[in-house]
Amino acid sequence: MDEPRILCGGTGSSLALLRNICLPDVVVKGRSREAEEGGDLTQVLDRVELEAGSGQPWTLALPVVPGARRKVTVHLKAMSTMDPAVAAMHEVAGNDATPTETPEAGTAAALETEVDGKPLDVSTESAEERRVRFERDAMQYVDQLYSAAMRMARNPSDAEDLVQEAYTKAFSAFHQYKPGTNLKAWLYRILTNTYINLYRKRQREPLQSNSDTIEDWQLARAESHTSSGLRSAEAEALDHLPDTDVKRALQSIPEEFRLAVYFADVEGFAYKEISDIMNTPIGTVMSRLHRGRKMLRDMLADYAAERGFRAATESSTAADSNKQENRK
Amino acid sequence: MSDCQGLGDCDDARMQRIYEYLDGALTHQDISEIKDHLDSCPECLEQYDLECVIRVMVKRSCTEAAPENLKNSILDRIHSIRTVEA
Repeated sequence: MDEPRILCGGTGSSLALLRNICLPDVVVKGRSREAEEGGDLTQVLDRVELEAGSGQPWTLALPVVPGARRKVTVHLKAMSTMDPAVAAMHEVAGNDATPTETPEAGTAAALETEVDGKPLDVSTESAEERRVRFERDAMQYVDQLYSAAMRMARNPSDAEDLVQEAYTKAFSAFHQYKPGTNLKAWLYRILTNTYINLYRKRQREPLQSNSDTIEDWQLARAESHTSSGLRSAEAEALDHLPDTDVKRALQSIPEEFRLAVYFADVEGFAYKEISDIMNTPIGTVMSRLHRGRKMLRDMLADYAAERGFRAATESSTAADSNKQENRK
Repeated sequence: MSDCQGLGDCDDARMQRIYEYLDGALTHQDISEIKDHLDSCPECLEQYDLECVIRVMVKRSCTEAAPENLKNSILDRIHSIRTVEA
């Protein structure tokens, strides 16, 4: 076969993750279902192409380059879920061999759909087998779900409860999870639902289901404060803010915006995945991201200003160019 | 500055393009366009840089390890569920 192909997972974030794991001289191209909804996920780096039609599995096609040897290992779980830096490896090395389809890729692609080398049949799986599979595939995300839960709950103890409850539900519903689909997104959806349905009810807080509940000042601010407010010197100032300020800033924006930003920026979920997790249309996800990021940026600029960095104002005139000006 | 047709004249449209670019949600052609534009528009490039900085900050600040006992608690709970079902 002139162009070896490696079947990969099928989610939008697969592409983003593959892009991250590939070396800079590798081309990653692809389309996903989001193409139908206005977004066409395509990123070109250089030579390897990832192409798939809507609804089809990803195909990683390696063009034949005479005199080049390529070893490509694509871990399916990394494609759809795990930190690519940890879980996946991509190697492109100059050598005298021709590219070949690597056994690793095939093995990895089958991982979630196999148990002990045999194809997984969920319908005949025993309870014990399912528990083993759950522990093997789902338990690796405890830290990540805990981090997300910390953005939902107000303290570590509640976050722990939330994660534990979500995992209990996920285990009970694990027979409904379709192997080969995005397990991490599935777990996040359960976590988010658990938070909305159970935890927040217990807190007896009003449901913040739409933007009407955002306080006026926040809205006005998000819309009037244009992006010209920060300069690269400010970017540097922001970068020196302590983690506590960043967490506080994120915590201070309304939760539907906060969670959208968290899912996109920290977890790298695609719009479609966030829309599934939060059970909202893609357009809503995009507008939440847009406004949430603006709010976050404004809050961070405020904190930078409080700490003596000139960051929050738009009056970056020549006279103000002395960025060392501290107010103490 | 004012010559910013590549990403749209208003700040909102411009930022939206930068967000979509960073989110990996642009078409092949759009990516080429925005890359070219960033190369020629210092103002947009600053915004882009700033967004990158903020993303890295958020990711760095919000990545937390779960308490040691949490994983064990979950496993205990799962095992107890299995026992009940068996």
